[in-house]
Amino acid sequence: MKRTQLGVLALAVFFLGTGTLWAADATIKLGALYNLTGGMSSIDAPALNGAKLQAKLINEKGGVLGKKLEVIGIDTKTDQKAAATGAQKALSEGVIAGLGYGDTTYVMAAAPLFQKKGLPFVTSGATHPELPKWVGDYMFMVPFGDDDQSFAIADFTVKKLNARNVAVWTDNSMDFTKALSKFYMARIKELGGTVVLEDFFKMGDKDFSAQIARLKAASPKADAVFVSAIPNEAGLSVKQIREAGLTLPIVSGDGFDTELVTTVPGPKLANAVYFSTHTYREDNRPEVVAFVKAYEKEYKKPPENAFAALGFDAVGLIADGLERAGKVDGKALRDALAATKGYKAVTGEITYSRPSMVPAKGVSIISVMNGKYKVEEVWMPKP
Amino acid sequence: MNLRRPRWIWLALALGGVAAVGLAQAAWDDYLLSIVNFVGIYAILAVSLNLTNGFAGLFSLGHPGFMAIGGYVTAILTLPASRKAMFLALPGWLAGIELPFLPALLAGGAAATLTAFLLGLSVLRLSGHYLAVATMGFLIIVQVLIENWESVTRGPLGLNGLAALTDLWWVYGWLLAAIYLSWKVKFSSFGRSMLAMREDSLAAQCLGVNLFRTRVAALAIGAFFAGVAGGLWAHLVTAITPGTFSLIMAFNIVVMVVVGGTGSITGAVVAAVLFSAATEIFRPLEESFEAYGIAEILMALVLLVILIYRPSGLFGSREPAFLTAGPTHKPGNHPATAKGGQ
Amino acid sequence: MTTGYIAQQIVNGLILGSMYALVAIGFSMIYGIVRLINFAHGDIVMIGAFVTLGLLQSLGAPLPVVAVGVLLSGAGMGIAVERAAFRPMRGAPQVTGFIASLAVSIMLQNLGILTLTAQPRNFAFPDYLQAVIHVGAVGFRVIDVVIMLSAVLLMGLLLLLVHRTRLGMAMRATAENLDVARLMGIPINRTIRSAFAVGSGLAAIAGLMWGGKFGQIDPLLGYVPGLKSFVAAVIGGVGSIPGAILGGYVLGLAEVLFVGLLPPIYSAFRDAFVFAALILILLALPNGILGKAAEDRA
Repeated sequence: MKRTQLGVLALAVFFLGTGTLWAADATIKLGALYNLTGGMSSIDAPALNGAKLQAKLINEKGGVLGKKLEVIGIDTKTDQKAAATGAQKALSEGVIAGLGYGDTTYVMAAAPLFQKKGLPFVTSGATHPELPKWVGDYMFMVPFGDDDQSFAIADFTVKKLNARNVAVWTDNSMDFTKALSKFYMARIKELGGTVVLEDFFKMGDKDFSAQIARLKAASPKADAVFVSAIPNEAGLSVKQIREAGLTLPIVSGDGFDTELVTTVPGPKLANAVYFSTHTYREDNRPEVVAFVKAYEKEYKKPPENAFAALGFDAVGLIADGLERAGKVDGKALRDALAATKGYKAVTGEITYSRPSMVPAKGVSIISVMNGKYKVEEVWMPKP
Repeated sequence: MNLRRPRWIWLALALGGVAAVGLAQAAWDDYLLSIVNFVGIYAILAVSLNLTNGFAGLFSLGHPGFMAIGGYVTAILTLPASRKAMFLALPGWLAGIELPFLPALLAGGAAATLTAFLLGLSVLRLSGHYLAVATMGFLIIVQVLIENWESVTRGPLGLNGLAALTDLWWVYGWLLAAIYLSWKVKFSSFGRSMLAMREDSLAAQCLGVNLFRTRVAALAIGAFFAGVAGGLWAHLVTAITPGTFSLIMAFNIVVMVVVGGTGSITGAVVAAVLFSAATEIFRPLEESFEAYGIAEILMALVLLVILIYRPSGLFGSREPAFLTAGPTHKPGNHPATAKGGQ
Repeated sequence: MTTGYIAQQIVNGLILGSMYALVAIGFSMIYGIVRLINFAHGDIVMIGAFVTLGLLQSLGAPLPVVAVGVLLSGAGMGIAVERAAFRPMRGAPQVTGFIASLAVSIMLQNLGILTLTAQPRNFAFPDYLQAVIHVGAVGFRVIDVVIMLSAVLLMGLLLLLVHRTRLGMAMRATAENLDVARLMGIPINRTIRSAFAVGSGLAAIAGLMWGGKFGQIDPLLGYVPGLKSFVAAVIGGVGSIPGAILGGYVLGLAEVLFVGLLPPIYSAFRDAFVFAALILILLALPNGILGKAAEDRA
């Protein structure tokens, strides 16, 4: 291919791509920043699907403030640099708010830019409770904080599972899992329990035989083991622990909210697993049922994980805020969002009642028995 | 032995660059500016790696490790004492320091250079793929240390809320410094010994080139600029985490050096610009078709096509003729180096 | 720390090492012949895993048939990669070939994400393979035994191929000196193609084993085996097949033992320890464990 031909091809591709953007007009634009390629794509891609679905449903009912909602999906390739430039791109396209991400690292690259511009950023999946403190008053979280979900499962461990001595496995390479463990252990100690063993692994690890051997040898014996992991290691750890013959309860946070926790071990081994998560799975509230049906209709498959519902809620929350604000303005939207009370999201009710600006949402404790999920209880934080 | 190239070309280029930067800062929006800033930082990285990999022929995958060291040192030094106390548990003398940008960057670069010396003394007796694995090991060791040394680095969470100190003037300034130094090295006798070493180490040794010292020097100089680039990066994104400087980034920079032509400074800059800007150009395509991943595939295709038609890279080992115009020696055009290695 | 515990860790290391070794020999084979690093090797592992899943789920075929299917698909993929990315690079600088294969790897990964989505999938082998056996204090699963035995078998077959067949002789000759081999009448293109086919077929089978052992696959899974095979091959001496086998086992054992034999607090430092150990090995043996000095071509 000659050089000139290549150049012409490149130009054509460029104009073809940008041309479609020139068509937009009189819409309310939202910048959806997600990692659609790279290591985080299994978590973020369903979230974008959820976000776009919500926009579509809202537009079918007439839109927001008389205008259509447009969700601009930007792929930031599991790369912080791309997150920063992606945020700039969204801002340059005149979005009224940004949403996205399931992990604090990328929120921290993108959200401060929105804060500086005076536009809200709503994270659908990042759960660190100090995010609003770090970014500023334009930062909003759709999910609960890691402290709440850890306290929930810790309470369950001690009160319902009657476990006094707990072993804790932590994925040391992710801030999410480390925070989870930190809060969990603090709560266990508060309730009079003891952490008999602390062990570590890393994201991407496939083999837990050393940790299992140490767990077996722990003295005093552990009544339960808390595995602070993300979905990739969730199924593997359960499978290997059960295969080693250990029947003690395995507990965790929303990192275990994945099909892998039942499919990888199989129905015989997926037993006595408990995790705290967003109130969505196995929930029969009308919002949940409607969401699952709509998702299946649109994408021809059930929602892959809770992040799909969270992405759906992020757009819904912003739209609700816009309606209450009455105008398409950054500060007004921000104030409206901060005043959100009882917004019925698919993943629970959202109210920003606490000074930390972390929503006081219910936490579902879900059990897995013989490969079946069941909601054991819904834990509510202090408002 | 100096080449007599028209001085005014250099002056014109530099002034033109200054004017361009001034114009861009004034006129362009934040999005374009952020892209150009990143392009500039990648150019610094490519030029610095070109010195290590290109001139000296060392297959080093450890560059992001130097970036990480430089980045973290710079960030820790510029953080206000109050934030330092909030995030980290540093020893007394460090906890109180708060430096302006330039000294912090220099400190970051110096830390990276020091590490490079230590690393080089240990592993630079290796060569080829063995060196690649050793430098990869260095990178992973640095990453693991950063992840776990929470009192100093805050672990996986990293440092955020850094002051957005980087702007186009800083990036451009450091890029000029990197290019200037590389150019001086390349057309000096030191640079010629490096190139000789790359082409045929045995012959070079016979001619009295101290292989080991030359390699360590190449690694150290490259590391300095990588460290500075790391500091610039941290204050552009305003956040720094252990995962930022990964093996994948090492591959990206090696790609830029190879596509530009190992040993060509101009090539490194051109390739850096091409690759960092290209993903943004392909982005609208991805978004309109909602087929995420297409940009990466197209980039890989472009890369493959370039390499098929120009296996030695866009510029080979040479610099463009108008910059090296001179009556006698043109080291780049020597038949042995023009092939671009074996 | 009982002997039983230590024995268990060693067994685990050997199992992991078998898989790394299997991927590493294909890698070393290719390097030995064309002197180019094939970074797409890891993604052939991924393709093998997905082909296995597809065949098992859609055809419900018995395992041996699936294995053959996987071998063939891996070989085919390898030939395609050779034709597309390596044939044009022949004679180019080494780094160029490395980058070209990296480009192919990126394409394969993103094609995988585009067509299969990034969601990890369950990979369920028949139950009889999952059964746990105990020999004294050491426990392992049937599938682990199968993996080790097949890996050893395949490696043995490969060494036989390379040292006792005409094709193998042609490969070795080409590896030593491509131009002279061509002069001697060896069909270079066909020999190189066969090397890629065999090496990639082995990688695909490793993918089948990977999925079977861990039970979970996704389009990005090839990155880790690709990297590990590169490291293993280099540690053992690039281009040497026995070296690659040795390197694979060294890597597998190091990974498991550094976690198993050190206190839990160090488990997070595992990668650092492994690579520090590898660097030490390289410093002592600068050409890898079984490598030969002076790989320059005349």
